[in-house]
Amino acid sequence: MQGLAFALWLANVLLDTGGQLAFKAAAGDERAGDGLARWRYMLARPWIWVGIACYVLEFVVWIAFLSLVPLSEGVLLGSINIVAIMIAGRFLFRERLSPLRVTGILLVAAGVAIVGAGA
Amino acid sequence: MKRFYAIGFALLLAFDTLNLVCFKLAGTHALPVEMNLAWALRVFSYPWIYGAVVGYIGAFVTWMSLLKHAPIGPAFAASHMEVVSVMVLSYWVFNEPVTPTQIVGAIAIVAGIACLAVAEGDEGEHDVVPA
Repeated sequence: MQGLAFALWLANVLLDTGGQLAFKAAAGDERAGDGLARWRYMLARPWIWVGIACYVLEFVVWIAFLSLVPLSEGVLLGSINIVAIMIAGRFLFRERLSPLRVTGILLVAAGVAIVGAGA
Repeated sequence: MKRFYAIGFALLLAFDTLNLVCFKLAGTHALPVEMNLAWALRVFSYPWIYGAVVGYIGAFVTWMSLLKHAPIGPAFAASHMEVVSVMVLSYWVFNEPVTPTQIVGAIAIVAGIACLAVAEGDEGEHDVVPA
């Protein structure tokens, strides 16, 4: 993988993870209440907008990335997002990482590393 | 009900695959990659990008309808199976080589997703570690 493709891949992981975490932070706020009031609460705070901004940027970065690498390879390398989000969820939202989840994370990471090494 | 899931998962896979194939076509037509307005205009001047948007919306609606009933574990796994469908399609449509490294990597990734899917199904209810 050339330098630009690698930079775009890295940016994609960071933006996807950042976006998901921001949406989780927005949606998980217990002070938000219910129904329309909940949406008003969320829209008046930064997290939901951070999430939207991340996703818009990710859209651009992802098109650029896929145009530089073979599609099958790009999609396989993009699987790293699953790993990044689970690990971030563990540290930021105290989500459980059971042995089975850790096994899954290691397998996906190994698969991405194998594909990446061959790219 | 089984049929509902089968159709739902197939539809989800189809929308995700459409999304990725269209993204690839949109990007390829807009080459070379430049972080400027000219590149963005090239991306949006071909129909492909709109196919990708249709894929996004279709996948989102299908996913939300599935989640209403389907267990999260298998749903999670199915939502990531586009790695396989895209590999087959890339070989077929874009004449991309499928290398042994890619196949080994894909098997590891799919196995990992399967583990995560089983874990989601079993442990979904007590998800958060007490502080």
